[in-house]
Amino acid sequence: MPFKTAITRAARAMREDLRLHVVAISSLTVAFLCLAAAIFAVTNLSSVAESWARQGRMSVYLVEGASPEDVAQLRLLLDGLPEVREVEHVTSREARAELAREAGEAELGRLPADLFPASLEVTLAGGTSAARTAAIAERVRRVRAVEAVETYEAWFGRLEALVATGRVVALVLAGLVLLCVLFVVANTIRLAISGRRDEIEVLKLCGASNGFVRGPFIVEGAVQGILSSGIAVGLLLAAFLALRGDVDATIAALAGVRAAFIHPTIAVLLVVGGGLVGAAGSALSLRRYLGV
Amino acid sequence: MAGNGKVVRPFAFFRAGNQAHANPNQRPILVLEDVYKFFRPDVPTLRGVNLTVERGEFVFVTGPSGAGKSTLLSLIYRAQTVDEGRILFCGRDIARLTAASIPYLRRNLGVVFQDFKIIGHWTVFENVAVALEILSMPRRLVRARVSEALERVGLAGRGGELTSGLSGGEQQRVAVARAIVAEPALILADEPTGNLDPTLALDILTLFEEINDTGTTVLFATHDHSLLEARAHRIVYIDDGRAIEARKGLGAWADRRTA
Ligand SMILES: Nc1ncnc2c1ncn2[C@@H]1O[C@H](COP(=O)(O)OP(=O)(O)O)[C@@H](O)[C@H]1O
Ligand SMILES: [Mg+2]
Repeated sequence: MPFKTAITRAARAMREDLRLHVVAISSLTVAFLCLAAAIFAVTNLSSVAESWARQGRMSVYLVEGASPEDVAQLRLLLDGLPEVREVEHVTSREARAELAREAGEAELGRLPADLFPASLEVTLAGGTSAARTAAIAERVRRVRAVEAVETYEAWFGRLEALVATGRVVALVLAGLVLLCVLFVVANTIRLAISGRRDEIEVLKLCGASNGFVRGPFIVEGAVQGILSSGIAVGLLLAAFLALRGDVDATIAALAGVRAAFIHPTIAVLLVVGGGLVGAAGSALSLRRYLGV
Repeated sequence: MAGNGKVVRPFAFFRAGNQAHANPNQRPILVLEDVYKFFRPDVPTLRGVNLTVERGEFVFVTGPSGAGKSTLLSLIYRAQTVDEGRILFCGRDIARLTAASIPYLRRNLGVVFQDFKIIGHWTVFENVAVALEILSMPRRLVRARVSEALERVGLAGRGGELTSGLSGGEQQRVAVARAIVAEPALILADEPTGNLDPTLALDILTLFEEINDTGTTVLFATHDHSLLEARAHRIVYIDDGRAIEARKGLGAWADRRTA
């Protein structure tokens, strides 16, 4: 019952002082949008990294005009290795066609096929270590028909580093957003308190408990946090759905995974966390300016 | 939060009404024993106030401006804390209540001020209902009790109006309705007529007397001599930080009834 009246009184207070709350909620929405976007980026980067890690790959480029016997022998060698799961022969022609398709540029298809080296695309078993991959590459490199071997190690390392950085950035952002929410809510509630000094005085004279006086302010802080984080997640989702068509094709072509939205659990945590931090910001202000 | 849905009234049995009549020998509602209040270390505003108020009495508290009338009342509703002495309200020492207990004391008091202290952008109903809402009283009961209180102060049917649109006298009636709606045993009025012209002042005084007639004890602080002269109530004069009995009143409501 006291909780219900706190909500009723908070709703009324927010209606009466709409501008104050709208300003606070819009600035908090921007903060949450930054955080949600960072989480979105990290989510997708790490799913790319994961998919790369799951299927180790190696491209064995063949020397120009390698004889079919040499290629067959190389295939035999590769198939004999326990880590090798699949070997696919991509001819120059196929390589050209694939690039043209992925890039969506028909022009590329008119270039001479021998500009594109033929290769054996090797899929390694999941969990093959980087050292083992390097050893295999070294051994293959010595074969006569092989021009070069690409293990994508450097790319993978860079991606891993990017994901790690992304995680740190998201964490730092989360910390900043937490401070920002505390600060903005505490300030908004400070203004709300000073605008409602008379009401607070009357409540206390009538014998309202501290909890009764605090209730609506806490609800107002929580609502600010919940609304702003909820709106931010909603905006990001809308943007994601609107752009998914374009983004998906690019990411799928480059990284072999589909773009994914923030995990629902994280979205819910963001909103619940927003509410809790908002309530905490309000409590800070009440303590400081009301002594209750 | 207060109450878990129940009405919290630790002093519930001290409410106004028939008990005083049923048992006229019970202890006084308010006793001040040797009360000191210092705002500055060397100059006490109140120095050894002794005062006993019987259940159902109407008492004028008077004295020049700055004598300490407001201070005296604020010690009773615990906006201020005594430095020495005791204040017994219904037999309990309220002088050193913990902060958490103060709300429960105030639920058994009605306080009315010179500046009304009502919320202009609330309706008349909302201003009065607030005193019951803090008790988590069910909505229907609140509505019934508020309209009854508004009727008692002469504002029947005006609950929907915004208080900012009312005249001064009407605003003070709203404040009185708020003070009585929870049926407190004791009403403290601090210069409630100070902002009103003389005829309105008499109307408000009469209103408090009507409330007193139903058994509620009233402490009415005023420095307005015309009010003191207009009525024969007991007068306590605050002078040099002490309470002096300046006029004996007609006695407590219970005594008047039984007499
Ligand atoms: N909160 C306070 N802080 C300091 N001094 C106060 C405070 N309240 C009252 N006083 C002083 O106590 C004295 C009595 O004030 P008050 O009780 O308001 O008198 P009255 O109501 O009789 O006019 C005055 O000298 C006033 O300055
Ligand atoms: Mg005064």
